[in-house]
Amino acid sequence: MPEPVPFSSLHRHRQRRDRLATALITAGGVGVLLAVLAIGIFLVTGVLPLFLSDNGPSLTALWQPQANVDGVVEYRWLPESLKGGGIPQVNLLPLVWGTLEAALWALVLAIPLALGAAAHSSLFMSPRLRHRIRPTLELMEAMPSVVLGFIAGLVLGPWVERHLAETFTVIAALPLGILLVAGLRRCLPGAIRHWLSLRWAALWLIPCLAGSVIVALWGASYWENLWFDGDLRAWIEIHLGLDVQARNALILGLAMGFAVMPGIYALAEDALSDVPKELCEGAQAMGATRWQTLTKVMLPVALPGIFSAVMIGAGRAVGETMIVLMASGNTALMSANPLDGLRSLASSIAIELPEAVMGSSHYRLLLLAALALFIFTFVVNTLAEVVRSRLRQRLVRQRSMR
Amino acid sequence: MPMQQEGAAVVRGWGRCLLLQCRVAFHGMFVRRFSRLMQGLVLGLLGFLPPVSHAHDVLGNLNAVGSDTMAELMLRWGERLEQSHPGVRLQLQASGSASAPAALIAGTTLLGPMSRQMLPRERASFTERYGYPPTAITAGKDALLVVVNRHNPIESLSLRQLDAIFSDNRQCGGEEAIEQWQQLGQDEPPGRIHLYGRNRVSGTHAMFRRIALCGGYFRNKVNVFPGSAAVVSAVGSDPLGIGYAGLNHLTADVHVVAIGEPGQAVVPSRQTLRNNQYPMARHLLIYANLPPGGSLPPTEQAFLDLVLSPSGQEIVEELGFVTLSIPQLNLQRRQLGLPELGSKDDVR
Repeated sequence: MPEPVPFSSLHRHRQRRDRLATALITAGGVGVLLAVLAIGIFLVTGVLPLFLSDNGPSLTALWQPQANVDGVVEYRWLPESLKGGGIPQVNLLPLVWGTLEAALWALVLAIPLALGAAAHSSLFMSPRLRHRIRPTLELMEAMPSVVLGFIAGLVLGPWVERHLAETFTVIAALPLGILLVAGLRRCLPGAIRHWLSLRWAALWLIPCLAGSVIVALWGASYWENLWFDGDLRAWIEIHLGLDVQARNALILGLAMGFAVMPGIYALAEDALSDVPKELCEGAQAMGATRWQTLTKVMLPVALPGIFSAVMIGAGRAVGETMIVLMASGNTALMSANPLDGLRSLASSIAIELPEAVMGSSHYRLLLLAALALFIFTFVVNTLAEVVRSRLRQRLVRQRSMR
Repeated sequence: MPMQQEGAAVVRGWGRCLLLQCRVAFHGMFVRRFSRLMQGLVLGLLGFLPPVSHAHDVLGNLNAVGSDTMAELMLRWGERLEQSHPGVRLQLQASGSASAPAALIAGTTLLGPMSRQMLPRERASFTERYGYPPTAITAGKDALLVVVNRHNPIESLSLRQLDAIFSDNRQCGGEEAIEQWQQLGQDEPPGRIHLYGRNRVSGTHAMFRRIALCGGYFRNKVNVFPGSAAVVSAVGSDPLGIGYAGLNHLTADVHVVAIGEPGQAVVPSRQTLRNNQYPMARHLLIYANLPPGGSLPPTEQAFLDLVLSPSGQEIVEELGFVTLSIPQLNLQRRQLGLPELGSKDDVR
């Protein structure tokens, strides 16, 4: 039996502990800030000699197109040219372009899916199902991106290249299939409709979607034969003059979309669930349908959160390395064709840094690429934070005015 | 007050725990110091003893950093060595030939397998660091193959055509860029040529650039992969693809293109490689940090002994590379101070 301790001593203990904890937390925060600052300073000091020295590539070479022996004027990323003499042809634009293009395609896939899923699961889905699905999606986010890149590069890429028509048909068929099922459900008698409740739509839609995929795969060769002489790829290459590569931006977008989606979903779902219950209930009590509740009440309130979810997804897509490295073919091209390859800043750094000699202009160029990435993610994250707080303030003001 | 008591107990509990930790740590430090002292004493005593048999010293980790092309070869040699000397463990880091000089210079390894010669720059910085040049040991021969999809009917390509296909600035003097398979005088396959290649760390990349591109630049259109096997599998699944890889990565999905002017094109084979007819042959090298007049540690020495022995060359043969002849092997062995092989140990 320990003897009782006088109150004051314990109090002092707690106070001391509090002070210690505060000091530790402050130190941690300041440390993180200093680390970020130090990274920025390291990159800047590493890059500066590139522009100060005479024999390095000039500033214009980094941003302007150059002609090759055939007189073809292009933006080129040829780091070999740094050592070979002659005018170095190292243009960062193809890499910046590739980074943004990859992120764009990933977001085109991820945003509608993630936001749709978030809206459905926060408003329609049965809580039991929701509690199962969320951890599954979080598991998906935890999947190493190497695995996704591996699947995209070695399995999905060659398959899509050989079955281009099937791919496009499946992509079109999935939303159309859902619409069709929704239309059919309205015509069904009440008992079955009750059984196929919206709350469990996520489960009974799976066989429907599988069915539409099968129909799409079966129908694809039919219209491919009818309109494109049985080979869509050759048709695109010959008639449209576009390149169709096995590792292309579209496949990359698919793989990276899957990587980015769970994050956006989780944040957007949180934002939608944080909307006060009384608002939704009030709206529904006034006779609003669930769709109206979603678009008119919940979305405006949750907008700041959803916006920052999308921005954080964009930041992840820009910085993603392994998926791009494995699924894109790493061709530093500037083409808007989604069936062409690309090369991102991050994957360039990963590929080329092992052989860049420390202190060489190639090394400094890669540091410049890193700096560009750093600035980009910094700007995106700051923008997300600023817009979010602005929107939130506006919301609070509106609410207080009512 | 029960709350206070509980709090005090917790505080005291933590205190006791901390004390115990400290004691354990001190104790551990003392024991470790002591044992290190003993170790030093024992080792010092051992130093006065005459060296025991050679095989006993072949122990511990054998580090090697370098070529990805030679990775499997190194691993198989390592396995063979582990069979005869159970204490040895090979630790291989195979990220590309360019990583070998860096590791040799930094001193993290004594053996650097490379699928190309060291560049003058790399050799110079090694010499600057150690005062003597690195020793190059040829362990076998390899060829750079140009591969296309197995459905592609093309038989041969000249070096100039290869340059026009892969290069951006056509240093070898080609007339025009070749972008379509039709430009090579064949109907099949219809469409553009899809290019596949290695990343710049690899010796394969550097060698292809030197021989086929006359030192020019690769096009931006070349799909870059971090391994030769990935290049071959990509070409195998792309009917329009063309790529380059080492001898040992061949699969049934690709077919090898003969290199040379039409009529004189040479198919890479053991014969054409041994008498240097094939234009894109190369040596598989192991660079060693060997001081002049000195010798390598026993483990490294035993490894190279195995590599330059008939059983080591058997592995070279098994993996699809080309072996060295006995005089060639003896030339290498003399460099390392190893006993020479007799003519009865002939390798096929």
